[in-house]
Amino acid sequence: MRLNVVLFALVCAFFGCKNEVTVLEEVEDLKLGGETSITGTFIKIFEQPAPNLSSTELDFHRDADKAFGDIFVTAPNFINGGLGPVFNQNSCESCHLSNGRSPFPIDANDLRGLLIRISVPGAEPTGEPLGIPNFGGQLQTKALFGKKAEAKLEWQHYSATLQYVDGDQITLTKPNFSLVNPYLPLPDHYLMSPRIAPPVIGLGLIEAISESDILTLADPDDSDADGISGKANWVWDHHTNGRSLGRFGWKAGQPSLLQQTAGAYNQDMGITNPRVPIENCFGQSQMDNIMDDPEIDENTLKAATFYTQSLAIPQRRNTTDPQVRKGKKLFYDLNCTACHQPNFVTGTHAEYSFLSNQKIFPYSDLLLHDMGDGLADNRSEFDANGNEWRTPPLWGLGLTKIVGGPNANYLHDGRAKTLEEAIMWHGGESETSKENFRKLSKTDRLALVKFLESL
Amino acid sequence: MIRTKINQLIYCLTISILLFATCRKEENITTDYSKILLNLANDVILVTYAELDTKTQDLVTALTNLETHPSETNLELARQAWRDARVPWEQSEGFLFGPVDQQGIDPAIDSWPVNQPDLDAVLASPEVLSKAYIDGLDGTLKGFHTIEYLIFGVGGSKSFNSFTSREFEYLRACAQSLEGATQQLYYAWKPDQHNFLANVINAGKTGYTSVYPSQKATLEEIVNGLVVIADEVANGKINDPLSQQNVNLEESRFSSNSKQDFADNIRSIQNAYTGVYKGSTGLGISNVISSSNSLADKKVKQDIEDAIIAIESIPGSFTSAIFNAKSSVENAQQKVRNLQQTLEEQILPIISNL
Repeated sequence: MRLNVVLFALVCAFFGCKNEVTVLEEVEDLKLGGETSITGTFIKIFEQPAPNLSSTELDFHRDADKAFGDIFVTAPNFINGGLGPVFNQNSCESCHLSNGRSPFPIDANDLRGLLIRISVPGAEPTGEPLGIPNFGGQLQTKALFGKKAEAKLEWQHYSATLQYVDGDQITLTKPNFSLVNPYLPLPDHYLMSPRIAPPVIGLGLIEAISESDILTLADPDDSDADGISGKANWVWDHHTNGRSLGRFGWKAGQPSLLQQTAGAYNQDMGITNPRVPIENCFGQSQMDNIMDDPEIDENTLKAATFYTQSLAIPQRRNTTDPQVRKGKKLFYDLNCTACHQPNFVTGTHAEYSFLSNQKIFPYSDLLLHDMGDGLADNRSEFDANGNEWRTPPLWGLGLTKIVGGPNANYLHDGRAKTLEEAIMWHGGESETSKENFRKLSKTDRLALVKFLESL
Repeated sequence: MIRTKINQLIYCLTISILLFATCRKEENITTDYSKILLNLANDVILVTYAELDTKTQDLVTALTNLETHPSETNLELARQAWRDARVPWEQSEGFLFGPVDQQGIDPAIDSWPVNQPDLDAVLASPEVLSKAYIDGLDGTLKGFHTIEYLIFGVGGSKSFNSFTSREFEYLRACAQSLEGATQQLYYAWKPDQHNFLANVINAGKTGYTSVYPSQKATLEEIVNGLVVIADEVANGKINDPLSQQNVNLEESRFSSNSKQDFADNIRSIQNAYTGVYKGSTGLGISNVISSSNSLADKKVKQDIEDAIIAIESIPGSFTSAIFNAKSSVENAQQKVRNLQQTLEEQILPIISNL
């Protein structure tokens, strides 16, 4: 008995030295990306390859890095021709700065990773939003010399001050965008959805999650009446010519990384490729007549795709900090985990074993949720309605401003300058959690933010 | 029974000693790297950016002179001014973190390739070629490589009397725009301006703010940057034109400046690693490494020297060497790869385990 007491005391002493954290709490989600995780807290942390790549995969990753950085120019050119005629940026990296969240633009002539999806009410037979005639489904805000940008973007920030229950105040700001100087008249009524380029880490892992594991979490009609739905977005898959589960993008509008990448080359840069061989302005007056399509080959497309599949996930930091641990508990207590569902185990990836069978902590169910009117873009995308957004993964969240600088903000249009603002924008299904956050003391609010910063 | 209890006691004591040792290890006081970071920030990084801004100002002057008094002499002076400005830029590529990309400055300075079709179209247009106009253009229509293309020509043999007045105008405005970008970069770091430098020197200090939570994190940033540029020189800048036998993939082809570019990239590694740059006190990454692994420290310094020598030993221009002196180019590539490997496998782990 006495020895048991001694043993217990020793165990306590051991954990005391580790700040009273149980082994489970400390190690459970430390490696957010499983064996693709790395340590480090520096600006270029999102540019590191996953540490569990084979040497062949590492070589491929490094070649792929080059594809991701390649800058395109007007065709015909001795190299990298094919940009535009209308486009958003001239390289993947221009939007995905250091692979992180794009900074909110400070200059309307350089929108960085901000783009605007546009449409008129209705949908294509595939379920895609109906593009605006002569403009398409995405606004290209740059053009080659001699052509016109489809339109330019202007915005004004509106702000409102909210009050916490303890009397503290917080000011939320929102950019209201408008299109100016269109190259052709815009219709009287059209829809706009602003999107900030998200980080590109962890995408291979998300692709490796089995469809059934995601669908298990879905509750589209809220049959358990907990106020949280979770809806799959069944989107058009160009590979199968049918509907597949959407996983990528702010509204889960893309089913695979290859399709996401092919679409980005085409829409963002005007680079035709084997998967999307027709220019984004096909049928429009600014279409070029150069017979150079596809402007990149399948290998380049697959390289850029692989780059996004094979990046490392930074592991959590400061996990034993009592404030962080308290914040983590609050994150659970406030039911944030209803949508920011902590973990998955990936399935067997058909091509890359480094993505297979990894216990990962994206803190997302990858499903759509009604986020309320404040965040709504009022524009449908396949099964996602104008209030619904995909729960964004939170891994790497605490590194946002380290990687992207002080203007790297949060939420789909980069409106939230701080994590606290981002939380306070939550509405709809997350209204109760947000309201409970509003009731917290300043100390507790800070603790919850500290937890998010540890991700 | 008593024997069992004694065994249990011994077991408990052993565990407790082990646990105590574990605890003690975690409480080790970390070494202070302030002086190293101070030297690297002030006397390597900031001085390199200051030098870059001075040299691009000289380039503006040289191109303005060329526009006012076109002559073969003034053209050669302009070309030399371009080469001189290129040196600090290439020597800054080992530390491409912070404002240089967060503020979108890199594309304005060093976008490649040049957008030749659009450049021709702009020159043929009635657009007023002011600095503000060039500032608003995409990176592929400004910066070092656009100026290079215009002052050297495709074969590098453009004569002063073949320049059009529009080209002179474009060059002046383009140099002014480049200088604007280099000044923005310098000021972004400069302590009496936007002071990004404070992030490096104040990392981990109580009472100061820094994007870096610790000095170790800052050192990791710097050493990772050294690995990245070694990789880019070996496996991008040298490898692409060499392996594909395609001169169009060579970055500074018009000026035949590639060998100088590569060597200056390696000097960028040398400057940050040794901390010695233009007479600074010489505290650098080397001082972190030498105490724990003096062999690795010596090896990386030797690898740097070998890589620079091998690059500079490539006969003639890089453009011709990829066809006519392949073994020499391959040797230089291998030497840079050796450096990359040493940095990656020997230096980075030491920093990561600080």
